[in-house]
Amino acid sequence: MANILLANELDDAIELLIAKRDSSSRSVDLDLGELLGIAAQLRLLPDPEFKATLKRQLLGPTPTPVALPRDVIQPPRQARSGRRDANRDEILPTLFGAGDGTYPVRRGNFAISAAIHVMLIAVVVIGGVWMARQPKIRPHTTSVLLTDIGAYPLPVASEKGGGGGGGGDRDKLSESKGSLPRFAREQITPPAVVVRNEQPKLPEEPTIVGPPELTVPPSSQTGNPISAILGPPSNGTGAGGGIGNGVGGGIGSGDSPGFGPGHGGGTGGGFYRVGGGVSAPRAIYEPDPEYSEEARRAKYQGTVLLWVVVGADGKPRDIHVQRTLGLGLDEKAIAAVEQWRFEPSMKDGHPVAVQVNIEVTFRLY
Amino acid sequence: MKALENEKLTKQNHERLQIEAAQRDTARFAELYENNFERVYAYIARRVGSREAAQDLTADVFHQALANLPRFEWRGLPFIAWLLGIAANLLSDRWQRSVRRQEVVADDLERVGTEDDIEQRAMLYQLVETLPEDQRRVIILRFVAQKSLREIAADLGRSDGAIKQLQLRALQNLRERIRSSHG
Repeated sequence: MANILLANELDDAIELLIAKRDSSSRSVDLDLGELLGIAAQLRLLPDPEFKATLKRQLLGPTPTPVALPRDVIQPPRQARSGRRDANRDEILPTLFGAGDGTYPVRRGNFAISAAIHVMLIAVVVIGGVWMARQPKIRPHTTSVLLTDIGAYPLPVASEKGGGGGGGGDRDKLSESKGSLPRFAREQITPPAVVVRNEQPKLPEEPTIVGPPELTVPPSSQTGNPISAILGPPSNGTGAGGGIGNGVGGGIGSGDSPGFGPGHGGGTGGGFYRVGGGVSAPRAIYEPDPEYSEEARRAKYQGTVLLWVVVGADGKPRDIHVQRTLGLGLDEKAIAAVEQWRFEPSMKDGHPVAVQVNIEVTFRLY
Repeated sequence: MKALENEKLTKQNHERLQIEAAQRDTARFAELYENNFERVYAYIARRVGSREAAQDLTADVFHQALANLPRFEWRGLPFIAWLLGIAANLLSDRWQRSVRRQEVVADDLERVGTEDDIEQRAMLYQLVETLPEDQRRVIILRFVAQKSLREIAADLGRSDGAIKQLQLRALQNLRERIRSSHG
């Protein structure tokens, strides 16, 4: 009777054990406890068919699949797949010798691995050497401010040159021939052939703007020295005072209080040039130009010469291409020089606008 | 004491001869397999906690052992140490590869048994083979197939009560044999 009770109690406990439910809270006697301990270890009891099947796989010449009861036997992985056999040479040896002797070692694999490594190292080394010998073409640009333009013969402009001055009092006759008045840094009274105000309240000597050290032959008659009309006296057809057909208080066809065609002060047209008391402007910010994509693709190199006026404020203006290069490099050079800033040229302690040439070199190397 | 050492040496020499024989003829690997199967399985089962995984890994261990047996060098250690080394490597690989490491939770690591525990389990598995056939079948169906008593009774054509008694006697038998093996 006690045996039956023990068998029932044991089976209930095993049922819980197999179902993996906690049976530890139950109070059991020592006898039952020992048996349950054994039962707990039997939960992972290997399948006897598995042991036999594995043995056949290991030792049999051709492992034959064993018909196993589906609900009893879980055959080993090798028996299920049938692909793996005793030859496990595909297993690589472990690193650092931890599995020394555990895994198969194929000398051929080591040779292949070594050969691949040698090839890879060779590719890296040869590639590096080749790259060093075939440097990447990089654009490089340099810009030089040319203050001495003597070596650069500029082409004759199709238009009138700058500088000079002009004037007139809207007479119907062109200005008459005569000599220039005195040059002065500033003009207070414009010159006139026909004086309209005989008695000015503040009489001042008529002058034109230009280098004061420039002297002209004295003459009794003021006028335009290059005029072909000797008389009758006339201030010219221009406006704004002065003599000539231009605008402003100078003499000639320009629009300034100087002499000659064009605009600005001085004579002969144009701006001050470096030299003769005019200091060279000094670039204080000169970003390099970029290379145009077309020129880069075409590997096009060369030099662009720019004609630039550096104003008294240190900013470049009136930029013209004096020697073109093309393929977008002219525009790149202009765009760069437009951003330049200068310490302006000085003349007699005053900043003045000067004309300079800037050479922009585009080079690939 | 000396007798124990002599017995140990004799056992080692015998195992060495078995290994050398198996290296010459793989058919002789059977003895090594039979002698070590339960230990290897117990070692792995204690760590993975699943019969299917333990069987798979045990199969892997013996496949690798057989494949590498020609390169095995006798260094005075028992053959089971080499087999358990392979098993440890495979377990390490398995855990590293496993994305879901549910089998290696902390509880399982704590349950990893000592050498004695593994020996005891291996012996228990071997003792099951020595049980009377009807008791052995009940144990296999109950713990391996995880059938209920009623299902086992139906399979074997016996009553539920008879199966309960067979189960009880089988476990008592195993306990007695374990005790007797411990002296």
